[in-house]
Amino acid sequence: MFHVTAAFLLVAGSVAAGVFNTLAIRAERPSETAYLLRLVRVSLPFIFVGIAGTLIFGLWLWHEQDFGFGALWIWLSLVFWVVASALGGMGGKHQEHAREVAERLASSGDASNDELRAILRDPRGNAMSWLAGAATIAILVLMIWKPG
Amino acid sequence: MLAVGRPFFPLFLHVFGAMVLTGAVLVALIVSYVAWRRSDLTLLGRAAFWALVVVGVPAYVAMRVGAQWIYSQEGFSGDNDPTWLGIGFAAADIGLLVLLVTIGVAYWWRRSGKPLAGHIVAGLSTVYLLLLAVAWLAMAGKWG
Repeated sequence: MFHVTAAFLLVAGSVAAGVFNTLAIRAERPSETAYLLRLVRVSLPFIFVGIAGTLIFGLWLWHEQDFGFGALWIWLSLVFWVVASALGGMGGKHQEHAREVAERLASSGDASNDELRAILRDPRGNAMSWLAGAATIAILVLMIWKPG
Repeated sequence: MLAVGRPFFPLFLHVFGAMVLTGAVLVALIVSYVAWRRSDLTLLGRAAFWALVVVGVPAYVAMRVGAQWIYSQEGFSGDNDPTWLGIGFAAADIGLLVLLVTIGVAYWWRRSGKPLAGHIVAGLSTVYLLLLAVAWLAMAGKWG
C-alpha cells in the first residue's frame, strides 16, 4: 500500500511538473513562463517523496514477498529508477536555466526573445524530462507485468 | 508490486490512468491554492482548466475503461464483490461528477477571472484528490 502510494505521488508529481513545463513553453510573456516554471518546484516534494518511497518500500517488499535475488524485472526496475532520477535531475536543471532567463526578461520589459525561445524549445533539454517520464512508465509496466 | 497473475494491459490502463488523473487534479489544486494569494494571475485559471480537460478527462476514461475491462475479465458478478471493489467504483462514479463540476467551475474561473471561482476549484480539487487517495489505498490494500 505504501509502495503504491509512493508510485502515485511520483507519477502525479511528474505529470504536474510536465503540465507546468508545457504551459510555460506555450506562454506568451516571459513573466508567465517564469511563474509557471516556479510552480514546477511545488510539484517537486511529491516527486522526491515518490522517488524515495518507491525505492524504500519496493526493497522492503522484495524481501517480504520472497521474489528472489535473481528476479530480472526487479533489477530492470532499479536500473530504470536510476535512469529516471538522473534524467529528471538533468531536465530540472534545464528548466531552472529557462526560468532564470525568463525572470531576467520579465524584469526588463517582459518581452520574449530568441534566447528564451531557443532554451524553451531546446530538444535536448526537453528530451531529458520526457525520457525520465518514459523510464517511469517502463517501471510501472515491469511492476504490473513482472516478466521473468 | 501491484498484482500477480492479473491481466496486464487492462490493469496497466487502469493504474496509469488513475495516476495521471491524480496528476491533473494536483495541477488544479496547486494553481487554485496559489491563486488565493495571486488572484491577479489569469494564467492560473487557464492552467487548471486545460490540465483537467486535456490531461484529466482522457486519464479518467483510461482509468474507468481499464477498471470495467478487469472487472469483466476476472469474473466478478456484483454478488458478494469485495469491499475494495465497491469503494473503487463508488470513487470513480462520484469522482466523475466532481471532475465535471470542477471543469465547469474552472471554465468559469478562466473566463471571468473571479477569485470565488478559484476558491471553489480549490475546494473541489481537494475533495477529488482525497477521494482518489481513498480509492488507491482501498484497492492497493485490498480492504475487506
